[in-house]
Amino acid sequence: MTATVSSSGRAMGTSDAISPVGHHAIAQTIAMSKRSVIAIIRQPALIVPSLVFPLFFAALGSSSFSRATGLPGFPQVDSFLALSLAASVIQGVLFGSTNGGAALAVDIENGFFDRLLASPTSRVSILFGSLAGSAVFGAVQALFFTVVMIAVGVNVHAGVAGVVLIVVAGALIGLSIGGFLAAMALRTGSAEAVQGVFPLLFITLFFSSAFFPRETMQGVYRTIADINPVSHLYEGMRDLVIDDLTLSAAAKALLIPIAVGCVSIPVALGQLRRRVRAA
Amino acid sequence: MRADQIPIYAEGLVRRFGAVVAVDGVDLQVNQGEVFGFLGPNGAGKSTTVRMLTTLLRPTAGIARVAGFDVVKQADDVRRSIGVALQDAAIDPLMTGNELLALQAVLYGIPKTHVKQRSDDLLERVGLTAAAGRRVGTYSGGMRRRLDLALSLIHQPSVLFLDEPTTGLDPMSRLALWEEVRRLNAEGTTVLLTTQYLEEADQLADRIAIIDHGVIVREGVPRELKAQVGAPTLVIAVPPDQVERARAVMQTFGELRTTAEGTLGVGLTAGAEAVSSVVRGLDEAGVRLHHLELNEPSLDDVFAEATGYRLEGAGSSNLPAAQGDQPQADPDDLLAPTGAKRGGRRGRQGRP
Repeated sequence: MTATVSSSGRAMGTSDAISPVGHHAIAQTIAMSKRSVIAIIRQPALIVPSLVFPLFFAALGSSSFSRATGLPGFPQVDSFLALSLAASVIQGVLFGSTNGGAALAVDIENGFFDRLLASPTSRVSILFGSLAGSAVFGAVQALFFTVVMIAVGVNVHAGVAGVVLIVVAGALIGLSIGGFLAAMALRTGSAEAVQGVFPLLFITLFFSSAFFPRETMQGVYRTIADINPVSHLYEGMRDLVIDDLTLSAAAKALLIPIAVGCVSIPVALGQLRRRVRAA
Repeated sequence: MRADQIPIYAEGLVRRFGAVVAVDGVDLQVNQGEVFGFLGPNGAGKSTTVRMLTTLLRPTAGIARVAGFDVVKQADDVRRSIGVALQDAAIDPLMTGNELLALQAVLYGIPKTHVKQRSDDLLERVGLTAAAGRRVGTYSGGMRRRLDLALSLIHQPSVLFLDEPTTGLDPMSRLALWEEVRRLNAEGTTVLLTTQYLEEADQLADRIAIIDHGVIVREGVPRELKAQVGAPTLVIAVPPDQVERARAVMQTFGELRTTAEGTLGVGLTAGAEAVSSVVRGLDEAGVRLHHLELNEPSLDDVFAEATGYRLEGAGSSNLPAAQGDQPQADPDDLLAPTGAKRGGRRGRQGRP
């Protein structure tokens, strides 16, 4: 592609200061990710609930169900609180991803998305920038909950490597769940619609093994929990807390969110394509 | 000139939204170094046309080339060549001016080594150096618009689209923005400016187009369009005992017109150039002038003649009232019928 420069020296096509977009897609994605992270940091009102409520549920569950660990079929755990670490991360990430999706929808609503589309930005970097924000926040949440839980006596049996895996899994879960919410944002262009999904996500969370092990469930509830991807996201991370580090536990913690992301991100990309093409 | 050498060129541009035809066969040519005013009430098709020209919306039919590139087939090339400041200054309120400029620079692939200098220059240019470290959420409407303009200039575009850049601004902010547009144009930037303010178009635009119901109903140089509406009116005041002599002189230059009591008016058939002849004639007839004024037809008159409506509050002699942060008026509230049926006097300009 060649540049045509007018007599004034201004770009009629590609300015000499501007290289083809493909060379800058990564830099654009990083810049957009930075923006997503800045948006999260500068809105403490959105961060605090996603950190406080999961801890509240963990404290409530621990005090109410501490003796349930003796039930037949209950996994071998140090305490009920040990089960709550992964649940807290999942809850926090659901909160955070909703906010990330809503932020993308706000960009569409207020015209910032158009500003991006009017620039020679890689369209994919707009989406991945937003998702990277969810991933970073997911990692930060996972680290926060792990540190707090360790401080109150939870032992991560997989050790330091386990903690690292939990943090990475938190990022991957943020990315994978964020994909669905970004798809929703791109589909509807409405922050209200994205935020409206949150109760649904919470119901999905309740119908999973995040609050009680599947091993103790029966009937329809068990069937739903078995097919609920949140159960599998949760259990991958849980096993790192209650068991020693094994390859299968590490793989489960990382591959399940990757598998979910393999569905959600193409869905989001499809919605991005649809929105850009519909314009 | 070939279409690929014209900064903005459109032919038969159409955009439909379902059954609604928002833009209905717009032909447009904006030449190098021009400020082109695109006028019309809300909902007339201005923004839809701009969105097509800036690659944000695909035309349903027709062709458009911007900076020499086809807006559909070479959209990325168009994007690299243009600056766009859209309606409502969509700027992330959580970021600072500095951060937004840095982000914009990355989006346009500007080398890191250039970003700081270019950002500083632009901030200084729009008078936001002191506020550059503050979050945009704390900016006034005028400051946001100026930052929006700076953002659109980060890559030194050859063509600049300003979609209603002064809507909602106070008069001082509006004047400051006009000044900046003039400076940019003087530096060689071709500008397409949409506005509902006739005064703005009159002040800034070399040529204008009036769009109504998706159709361009007038296009040309403001002075010529105003001249087409009618001859300018020369109004004089003379001592009472010299009125008859003055009347006799005046009517040799055109048709006498009704004016305020104590004054005489004549429509100058030969245009404003005839003023000196009238003055000489009056002097030779021994008429002593107390007062003389020349009233040109306004763009408001052109608009009304073209559409059958007037844009309320958009008269040509005064700045529109400040709107501050007030909500936008309903489109229907902006229109005041002048008696002619809507669309009844609509015409079509030929192709550029």
